[in-house]
Amino acid sequence: MKIQVFAVLKDHFDKEFELSRDIKDIASLKAYLSNQNTGAEGILQISRFAVHNEFVDLDYAIKPNDTICIFPPSSGG
Amino acid sequence: MIRSAYSLQAAEAEIPALSATPLDVVALLAQAHHPEAGAVVLFSGEVRNHNQGQDVDYLEYEAHEAMAEKMIAEIINDAHAKWPLKIAVAQHRTGKVAIGETAVIVITSSAHRHEAYEANQYIIHRIKHEATIWKCEYFTDGSKKWGGNCSCCPPAL
Repeated sequence: MKIQVFAVLKDHFDKEFELSRDIKDIASLKAYLSNQNTGAEGILQISRFAVHNEFVDLDYAIKPNDTICIFPPSSGG
Repeated sequence: MIRSAYSLQAAEAEIPALSATPLDVVALLAQAHHPEAGAVVLFSGEVRNHNQGQDVDYLEYEAHEAMAEKMIAEIINDAHAKWPLKIAVAQHRTGKVAIGETAVIVITSSAHRHEAYEANQYIIHRIKHEATIWKCEYFTDGSKKWGGNCSCCPPAL
């Protein structure tokens, strides 16, 4: 899977990176990334996740070729 | 009248929700007049030179553009469903935005002012809090800070 992160998450991760590990769903991905980078745990907890330009829930089953976008809380305006 | 309304709706649909270049507030306003609208409300969110005691140099906006465009279109559609609007348009900047420049504009037109004001507040509130757009503040002391715009946060309308 490919991961793309936005805004403040770029201070914690590369903007785009590959993960070849077997991670079954979004909840597991969130836990894995939080363990990898404990400084990002708080922001990951309140982030939204999207695949193919659609938001997905924590139980979304990740497919190997998915690109998963991780969005911190919006701050437009 | 029907032809007139149709052409105005088409113009509304053609206004891109995101822009990497300065927003033309006057040109957008010129497109928001409607023969059945007695009220036009224009909100321009502009970059101020201070935030929470720090001097701001400029802002930079990042977006997931495909999702932001889709979400802003949905918000506009929801506003049309909730209020009898003649025109509703919104446009948000991306990239570097200088002090005094417009970061976001929302224009609503309706027969009477009440609906235009309410719908305008609804649209800007949802864009700020839901659309996949993020602000990074760059301060005059060289530091920067992501987000942090949300001192308002009244309950969602």
